[in-house]
Amino acid sequence: MSTVTRHALVAGETTLREYVSTGVMAVGAVLFLASWAVLFQWVGERTPVLGVDLFTLFGVLLLAMAAGIAGVGVASRLGHVSASPSASAGLVAGSLFGGIGFVTGGLVASQTLGMGTVGWLAVAVATGVAAAALAVVPREDVGSTLPAALFLALVGALLVTDTLGLGWSWSPNDVSATFVGSVMVPVVTIAGSLVGSWSAAKARAGFGTQGREAGAFYLIRLSVFGMLGVLTLLVGFIVKNGLETALTNAQFGLDGHLDLPGALFGVALPDWSLPFVDVQVPFVTNVSQSLYVDVPGLAPAILGTLWLVVGAMLFAIPLGLAAAIFLAEYTESRLFRQLVEVATNGLWSTPSIVFGLFGLAFLVPRFGGGKSLLSGQLVLGFMLLPLVVITSYESIKAVPDEYRDASAALGVTQWQTIRSAVLPAAMPGVITGVILGVGRIAGETAPLLLVYGGPPFASQNPNVLSSFQFTSSPPFVSNTALLDAGSALPYQLYTSITSGRLPGQGAPFTVQDFGWGTALVLLVVVLGLYAVGIASRLYFRNKLYNE
Amino acid sequence: MSNADVSHQSTPAPASTTTTGETEETVRESWRTYDVTGEPAVAVEDLNVHYGDDHALKDVSMDIPEESVTALIGPSGCGKSTFLRCLNRMNDRIKAARIDGSVEVGGEEIYQDGVDLVELRKRVGMVFQAPNPFPKSIRENVSYGPRKHGDLDTSLLSRLLGRDDAEAEEALVEQCLRDAALYEEVADRLEDNALGLSGGQQQRLCIARALAVDPDVLLMDEPASALDPIATAKIEDLIGELAEDYTVVVVTHNMQQAARISDQTAVFLTGGELVEYGDTDQVFESPESQRVEDYITGKFG
Repeated sequence: MSTVTRHALVAGETTLREYVSTGVMAVGAVLFLASWAVLFQWVGERTPVLGVDLFTLFGVLLLAMAAGIAGVGVASRLGHVSASPSASAGLVAGSLFGGIGFVTGGLVASQTLGMGTVGWLAVAVATGVAAAALAVVPREDVGSTLPAALFLALVGALLVTDTLGLGWSWSPNDVSATFVGSVMVPVVTIAGSLVGSWSAAKARAGFGTQGREAGAFYLIRLSVFGMLGVLTLLVGFIVKNGLETALTNAQFGLDGHLDLPGALFGVALPDWSLPFVDVQVPFVTNVSQSLYVDVPGLAPAILGTLWLVVGAMLFAIPLGLAAAIFLAEYTESRLFRQLVEVATNGLWSTPSIVFGLFGLAFLVPRFGGGKSLLSGQLVLGFMLLPLVVITSYESIKAVPDEYRDASAALGVTQWQTIRSAVLPAAMPGVITGVILGVGRIAGETAPLLLVYGGPPFASQNPNVLSSFQFTSSPPFVSNTALLDAGSALPYQLYTSITSGRLPGQGAPFTVQDFGWGTALVLLVVVLGLYAVGIASRLYFRNKLYNE
Repeated sequence: MSNADVSHQSTPAPASTTTTGETEETVRESWRTYDVTGEPAVAVEDLNVHYGDDHALKDVSMDIPEESVTALIGPSGCGKSTFLRCLNRMNDRIKAARIDGSVEVGGEEIYQDGVDLVELRKRVGMVFQAPNPFPKSIRENVSYGPRKHGDLDTSLLSRLLGRDDAEAEEALVEQCLRDAALYEEVADRLEDNALGLSGGQQQRLCIARALAVDPDVLLMDEPASALDPIATAKIEDLIGELAEDYTVVVVTHNMQQAARISDQTAVFLTGGELVEYGDTDQVFESPESQRVEDYITGKFG
């Protein structure tokens, strides 16, 4: 008889095994979310649910998960449910459960049972080895369920008996930190729900290769959700703290006028208005400090950031793109190419404060001796340059040689080939690089402190466009706004952290609120720059392939 | 009269041995001499190509008659593609390549100082093995060459001034697509991206693109090897029609294809030497070289 086991080609009806495992995973997901909610205090830890303590309920649910997993595992081992387990759960599961066993055993021995150092270490090693052995030695259906079930049962029992609960706290001798129950309970519940769900995911697919596939896929999905969760949390936190400030005295209506003062854009346009839409957000359109301003706003900082980014891009993109074209298409020397690559990579990882220092020592004395917008633009341009070079070079290199051959075979010159065949194909990549770089420099604070930052709360917008002056003698054109110090969003955030209080009186919010509002607007501006970049990348890609 | 005859007499026939064939044979000069009536479109003399230490082409001399199809056949790595790429100096783009010898196109030596590569490649067009249209519209693909050479002015400025060559472009695109037997299939979607065409259509588009710069000679490097039989048949028919106006040189792996489409056939064998060159019928029916016969009948290569 063959040693190859055969299974049905077509999955039959949903089996008991699948029902139980799915239930366990669902309970795990609920526990996972609830624990995070407790950790972030969206749900109070003393909230009674269904007549019992929240943490007791956690314990009961963990016990239920344990029972479900163990039941499926044992039933599969005894042949009561259909499954296709491997001979062993494998070393990965073994070391995972071994580690969990070591930590749990050690903690229980030292904390709950109160053993000394030698005692808990011995117990920890013993439980670790036992858990690993339990995972590796038996067949997979037992090996990947029983250790998990034991862990869940232990945690659940601790919670139900209130051994680990709100009253619990632990201050390790050598560490100046205290672990309290209200944090530790959700943390161990999260750990328990993850381990239990992983085990259940394997059981649900019937163990074996399918089970491993399901388990691995479960872990990958979990990581993705974790990443998205962190992002959402971060953005949500900033929005929650800053939204109220940002919308102070804001008006949204459909019956008024959209008044956009031309002075906002620094041009002497007549103030214009759109009928039927009325949007006023004083926090965004006001200056930060003025006698007649009741809501201190961010207009100088927003415009400052935008001008900085525009100036840096005007400086860095032509230079960087030209350098990348030269490196990728013209230079023959590998040594030179590697040298430039090393130099640009080094430049990219240079700390921003060093760029700022260079600007302060080299640029500031040459532009009238004071901090200025121009110095800020150039310093940020220096910072943007290496990334533009690196990404443009990579994307030009990635353009297939077939385009170059085809063009050359038509008798088209190298420059025309680059312009008409290579650059259009490389454009989406180049733009990706610029987006990344702009995202970085728009949030850059350190160099601005040194070369650009003016008064902590600016009372004037940078009027770059209206400040151009033409004269009949050299240099023929000058712009005082470019030589003024000013504010930018990250700089504004820094000053609102360090300045202590808002200038003037009667502001409807504190300086902390002002700072949160600034953070929110900074986030929105950076995301807006990203959106512009992504839109232009899509435009060029579309032009390439879907014309 | 062929001037190649004269030069060959002064060149000692290279003694060649083979370990793959059963017999060792010396390639005779007469096997690879082919008398071209009138001026040859392309005259190659003593062409040698080295890639680093690798001697890829050995003392190749051949005259290619105009307005005909010349097939280059031989096993992989025999140098036939290298030979083809010498005719429009595409091998210049490979840094390690070293090329000695003489190639005359239309009576002018192309391996000398002062040759205008732009002008040369306008005269000697090329179609590659894999279809390689630009990621642009079908129209732009065809008019790419003339536009970049300034023969068609469709810039924004001239459009604004109302003196662009839109009509000329229209006519040229249609003519070239017709010559490449593609017009009927794409007439209503000239603005669509060329990457949306099928492989065979893409290859014919590449041929149309090469025709748009009005070459004298058209080099094709296995133009049908990436295509299915129906697309291949279309390309083969097209090659036959093109030979009425152009000098076509085709590299192919496929001996039946060479027999079907070509007027002359040159057989390259391993080591980069030209072993036999003559009328296609003669080369396929009564080859003079034993090794060529073995190759054609499938005993070797």
